Amino acid sequence: MADAVRTIVIVGRDAPAWIAALSLHKALGQTGVKVSVVELPSLLNGVEAYAALPSLQALHELLEVDEAAVLTAARGVPMVAQRFSNWNGDGAYLQGYDSAEAPGGFLSFVQLWIKARAQGLKVPFEEFSFGAMAARSGRVPSESDDPKALGATYGYHLDASAYSLLLRAFAVRRGIEVRSGLVRRVEVQAERIDAVELVSGERIAADLFIDASGSEAALLSTLPADQFESWQAHLPCDRLLSASVGQMTPRPAFSQISAIDGGWIGMFPLQERTAVTMAFQSSSMTPEQAVAQLQSLAGVAIGSDAIITTINPGVRKTPWIGNCIAIGEAAAALEPLDGLSLHLAHVCVSHMITFFPVDRDSAIEAAEYNTAVRLHAANLRDFQQTHYVLNGRAGEPFWDKARAAPMSDGLAQKLRMFQARGESVLYEEETFEAQSWAQMFLGHGCSPRSYDPRVDLIDQQDHMQSIQSRLREIGQTIPALPTIDAFLAATQIPIKASAAAS
Amino acid sequence: MAAAALSGLLPRSRCNVRLVESDEIGIVGVGEATLPHMKNFNDIVGIDEAEMIRRTKATFKLGIEFRDWGFQGSSYIHPFGIHGASETTLGFHQKWLRALHAGHAFNLEDFSFAIAASRQNRFDFPAGKSGSISSTYSYAYHFDASLYAAFLREFVEARGVERIEGKVRDVAKSDNGDIQSLTLESGEVIAGDFFIDCSGFRSLLLGDALEVDWEDWSQWLPCDRAWAVPCASAGELTPYTRSTAREAGWQWRIPLQHRTGNGHVFSTAFTSEEKARETLLANLDGEALGEPRLLRFQAGRRRTSWHRNCLALGLASGFLEPLESTSIYLVQIALMHLLPLFPGREVEPALIGEYNRKMDVEYERIRDFLILHYHLTSRDDSEMWRYCRAMDVPDSLKQKIGLFRQRGYIERYRDGLFTPPSWLSVYVGQGLTPERHHPTMDNIAVDRMVDELALLRDDIRDRVEELPKHEAVVARYATEAAGSDAFSFSFN
Repeated sequence: MADAVRTIVIVGRDAPAWIAALSLHKALGQTGVKVSVVELPSLLNGVEAYAALPSLQALHELLEVDEAAVLTAARGVPMVAQRFSNWNGDGAYLQGYDSAEAPGGFLSFVQLWIKARAQGLKVPFEEFSFGAMAARSGRVPSESDDPKALGATYGYHLDASAYSLLLRAFAVRRGIEVRSGLVRRVEVQAERIDAVELVSGERIAADLFIDASGSEAALLSTLPADQFESWQAHLPCDRLLSASVGQMTPRPAFSQISAIDGGWIGMFPLQERTAVTMAFQSSSMTPEQAVAQLQSLAGVAIGSDAIITTINPGVRKTPWIGNCIAIGEAAAALEPLDGLSLHLAHVCVSHMITFFPVDRDSAIEAAEYNTAVRLHAANLRDFQQTHYVLNGRAGEPFWDKARAAPMSDGLAQKLRMFQARGESVLYEEETFEAQSWAQMFLGHGCSPRSYDPRVDLIDQQDHMQSIQSRLREIGQTIPALPTIDAFLAATQIPIKASAAAS
Repeated sequence: MAAAALSGLLPRSRCNVRLVESDEIGIVGVGEATLPHMKNFNDIVGIDEAEMIRRTKATFKLGIEFRDWGFQGSSYIHPFGIHGASETTLGFHQKWLRALHAGHAFNLEDFSFAIAASRQNRFDFPAGKSGSISSTYSYAYHFDASLYAAFLREFVEARGVERIEGKVRDVAKSDNGDIQSLTLESGEVIAGDFFIDCSGFRSLLLGDALEVDWEDWSQWLPCDRAWAVPCASAGELTPYTRSTAREAGWQWRIPLQHRTGNGHVFSTAFTSEEKARETLLANLDGEALGEPRLLRFQAGRRRTSWHRNCLALGLASGFLEPLESTSIYLVQIALMHLLPLFPGREVEPALIGEYNRKMDVEYERIRDFLILHYHLTSRDDSEMWRYCRAMDVPDSLKQKIGLFRQRGYIERYRDGLFTPPSWLSVYVGQGLTPERHHPTMDNIAVDRMVDELALLRDDIRDRVEELPKHEAVVARYATEAAGSDAFSFSFN
């Protein structure tokens, strides 16, 4: 094993760098592999929030990061759903995170719903989602050990800077060596990185380099084979205006994503404030117009700490080249929609550990990582683009164009199948399961033309019964769930106690 | 099977099923080996397991033994079950590899409950409760395919499916190119909205009438003939199919209640029909019951199996040699993919596209898995094996083999047959041991792990000793066949 990887240097910033460091340390620290971090200056401005999927809970558990500590330090609020409004007329829909689909016997519940709707049912699909309904009433659902019982889970809204600092503290406490600095030069030889030289003059060599620098891809972009594939044709926004406004009362249990003329506005509730993001296209709006639009639409004053940043959705052709592995936005970038802030970093890190090289010659692992990460990111891009292609804002140039934008063959087939039969096609490497796709399709007004013929095998009375009992069960369960405020009060580390302990 | 599924699993209001079949056309196959999915199919269409076992002279199956495949003298079993006590993300075999690389060479087969039972000709039904070692496997059947076909025919006729005796003489198409009707030799015209082509290799509707192209896979799977013959049973009843590699192909052995089905699959590029026939007859357990019958085929498939208003099933849509008992599975999974997509009078292109996409995945997964058996070998004793060792295999397979060789990685995919335990048993059985294990396995203390492995191995061995013999279990189901002179049943 002379050629095994013994030293790993992560060059990066903010939460993705610390997620990579903690994960690698956890997976390999006992085996003598040394993990260290070169910390680049943060790109966060103190106003941003991370909206993270429920899968972050599992990551925290794996990394032994306590939920109470996270909510306390990052002023976090459970994210029980995504609420999309004004994408199709004045309506809105909620997308929750149910543990399992509503029961439909051997069929998927959406098939039962489609038939019921054809027979006159007026109740929208989201009202059969425990997670969505919990979010609507401002409450936090929980999962159940009984697979037949109602269960839903939640992600988080977190103050991005505070969360990153918390993870950094965990990394330092676990003995991960951290240097802060700027990279002056990357020593590249035959598509491999020998070392990075910092502005301080320090030269840091390693067997393996992780690029967690965000979309600049500070390391990967120095390798001659690196190429970037833009997804701007699919995801049109290239600017983000981030700001902070006061607390909403009552504090919502969801991310509020509203379509506006020329983009969308996201509101992400935190404990003492609300992080606001407006995504738009630089070619159709100046920064001043964007600020003015946000103030008038959100109905609040935007402080001087507001900031405009560039986003460039797309993917690296080969996120892993030689001994350099890009994760998170250095590998693929999406819009900050659908609670995906930290998700790509998480997906990349988990694939990186699955294919962690057994020796320095890792061409075969790199090929597998690249295929998996690109496919995963492309499926997420398709998920995000679905909001755009199904928008109903006819007559607005931005939205008309988005509706007609090119789609991948995979997404085109997904849409055709859902419209034909209400069936959600899933490929390899999907984050979102069939139920999430169905919620989105139906939420944006897709209307399947037919349903699985086997629904007709179900006795009409049994059919109505399963529809009604689901509604009843959800209606009866929700009042017993804790409200967001009650949940926070019960979960957080009391500030005083925490200060005394440290 | 199609008639059973469509008549039983679709509402009557949706379709009226009519079956055109000819008694004059013989049924291919002397004994059929299946996969565990078969039980599921029987359960959902409402076929009683005990009755089917009795009527089709069936026996149970826990896996397939491969003899002489990786090298001459070798034997391994591909089990219908996992290795180890539970499924883990990285796979149990990473522990086995970690131990191996630390100098503790365990036999991987000792950690599979299904293999241990097979090696002793024992069988019992899996424990229902998950978490116990005796719930780590599933089972399939060996049965007489002609008896199964007759059994199904009776089953569907009892459900009111109209069966029309006759041979198709002509297929009429409508102006838009869809199939409109069939004309039988009797002159009778049968019209329909949707046609299912189960005509076997001839592919009367999809291939002949709709002219869907054939995609040839014989560069990877060169066998193109089989001799088949039943023989008298001999020895203990095995709960597994056996496949023995031969000079220019391989031979199957399928134990039934009343006899054993045998066949020699071979390639005429590497041997003659006559020689292949001799090889088969020289390698039977007991006396041949009849003259061997010759079957001709080519590995490959129709480019799409659903085209316009016609869907082909089984051999009419493609052929993959029965090395991994996938023939009936492919029919079954095709039906399972069809049911949710079953069209109305208008056939929507999205439904056809989705069905064909799913079947592409099914076929390609199986194709790669079959090629693996031929390609991953150290045999160089005959022209065919030298050819197969050196042939250029699909990139998808090359990458899979490379990842296993390098680090014992096995892909777990969402759709399609063969989970990691299947790939594992074939890789290792064919003689490929990974060079390294997953780096995170070095976190585990070797001594403790070695003790755990030894305990698990002994536990499996002890529990398997307590299982009844396969033939005793079969005898409980086969009371009507008990008079057969091919067997003497032992009740214990």
